[in-house]
Amino acid sequence: MRSGQADALRVLGLAILFCMTILVAVLSIGAGTARLSFVTVAEALFAFDGSRDHLIVTMLRLPRVLAGAMAGAALAVAGAVMQAATGNPLASPGLLGINAGGAFAVVAAMALQMTGSLGDGNGLVWYAFGGAAIAGFAVHALGSLGPRGGTSLKLVLAGAVIGTFLTSLTSAILIFDQATLDAVRLWTVGSLSGRTMGQVLAVAPYIATGLAAALLLRGQFTTLSLGSDISGALGQHPLLWRTLSVVIVVLLAGSAVALAGPVGFVGLVMPHVARLTIGADYRWIVPYSAVGGALLLVMADTVGRGLFASQDFPVGVTMALIGAPFFLWLARYRLRGA
Amino acid sequence: MKSRRILLATALLSVPALLLASLILGDQTISRADLASLLDGSASVQTRMIVLDLRLPRALMAFTAGMALGIAGAIAQAVMRNPLAEPGILGINAGAALAGGLVIVGLKGAGAALLPLAGFAGATLMATFVFILSWRNGTSSLRIVLIGIALGALAGAGCSFLIAFADVADVQRLMIWLAGSVYAADWGALGLLVAWLVVPVALACLATRQLDLLRFGDDIAASLGQRVNLGRALLILLCTAISGATVAACGLIGFIGLIAPHVARKMAGAGHARLIPASALVGGLLLMAADLVARTVMAPAQLPAGIVTALIGAPFLGYLLWGRRHAAQ
Repeated sequence: MRSGQADALRVLGLAILFCMTILVAVLSIGAGTARLSFVTVAEALFAFDGSRDHLIVTMLRLPRVLAGAMAGAALAVAGAVMQAATGNPLASPGLLGINAGGAFAVVAAMALQMTGSLGDGNGLVWYAFGGAAIAGFAVHALGSLGPRGGTSLKLVLAGAVIGTFLTSLTSAILIFDQATLDAVRLWTVGSLSGRTMGQVLAVAPYIATGLAAALLLRGQFTTLSLGSDISGALGQHPLLWRTLSVVIVVLLAGSAVALAGPVGFVGLVMPHVARLTIGADYRWIVPYSAVGGALLLVMADTVGRGLFASQDFPVGVTMALIGAPFFLWLARYRLRGA
Repeated sequence: MKSRRILLATALLSVPALLLASLILGDQTISRADLASLLDGSASVQTRMIVLDLRLPRALMAFTAGMALGIAGAIAQAVMRNPLAEPGILGINAGAALAGGLVIVGLKGAGAALLPLAGFAGATLMATFVFILSWRNGTSSLRIVLIGIALGALAGAGCSFLIAFADVADVQRLMIWLAGSVYAADWGALGLLVAWLVVPVALACLATRQLDLLRFGDDIAASLGQRVNLGRALLILLCTAISGATVAACGLIGFIGLIAPHVARKMAGAGHARLIPASALVGGLLLMAADLVARTVMAPAQLPAGIVTALIGAPFLGYLLWGRRHAAQ
């Protein structure tokens, strides 16, 4: 009975969070240099008439908000999966080398002049996605060496090593190439500026697949998070489940890096926020992380545009400014035992 | 067991070999005859200057800073009970990066002399804040980790802001400083670093039993008679003092604190009486080798040693993982 009540509360909380996300998203579409009313936004979405305001909504603001929501949800869920698979509170999607791989691919492509400016078309998105995916699977391959497919400790070590290796290569390029540094520095701190609907639609299938898989398997992640001894005794094959986790994380975080740049904070922190709020059960952590991550990133982007009146204010900065104090409070006052 | 001894012996023998190589190799190669002439006092002024005033202090500085980083990393991993822990978890890197960034961007070229001080201040301030905020009827490893993440993210946001909006030439100089190097080493700086490090390193060597106990968890450590919170506070203080000093001396060299203890564990096992010296040895070797490569591979251009650290350290650890892939753990 009590657990039924608790579940009902959690569903309610999730629904409220979801409505908040929608509300913030609509506000975010309306806010900006050209202030648009709620009605205008709704009309642009459902009864498009080609006017200037409607074009602003569909061509500029909607892709940006969608990109933020998708990247936030994807990163937060990827972080939750990583923390379940490795049993390490420091694990984040970046630990698979995904951020470092994406950043290295983009910087290398720009330094070698394989792509023009950051804004043009979808080329950049694919470089980022490809670099992230290759790095992720390389980490997995190195971490799975050994009898019975390695351990989660080997996985995180391999990730830290390959990630630092790629980051060092990126720094080496940027230190010698001021032009590339100037062109790419906004992207490397995480930015949603100039996202197009084409880019959003290009990565949407990957994010949708990853989110669906994570949500369907969320019960299994609870088992996985208990450690390899217990999850093995309960019938999970460690290598199979680690591989599955890596595939999901690469799909989600790779797409997110392609959309929003290598932002770290949301993937690391949102699963902790969910855990500190609703407990250690991944059946709830995964959906809460998804909605919370989307909310945080969209909110951060809106605040950045509103307060600093700049299209280019990096969302990575505002996100930490909004999220970190809240997380600080949670960690200080809600963390029990442990 | 046998492979461990071979690794350890190789590491020990590499120290004089690398030191010698650091003295000989470089923009201007020093011959063996020149080195011998240094010993009997008949060397030319130029040879003296290159070897004794430039290369020797620089190589020793790299070795000392690497040793310090290895020790700090071993302490951090034991205190946090997390194989991914490094001094950076205490906010040290983020704090130093923000302070260094503010100095570089705010004071332009004039700030160079202030960088060591700013780095040290930023590192210790952040570590203090992390510890104070995680103190609530005692501390816990997990709370320190989470608070460190949050404060690190805040300082990181400040640093990202600078990277995104400051003058691009300043950003480039900031990135070079952030990568960490021993470019500016001389006898004075080396003496200062060694003098500062003597006490914390000696204390770290005395605290090996506490470190062993902490690794098992708070409850077990307490039941074996350890005052857990006090011990953890002192160890974090040691870790901050050691890595803050290296930040002041060489900027941010990240990789060693994370990786040296893991390599050392494969050489010397998990007991801290052996792990601390072994981590120091591995860290010192890694940074000395990295600096040698950094200043010779593209000479006369020099890379920051911190970048090369990861470029040669990462394949080495990959090789270790590969070579021991059939080991039980």
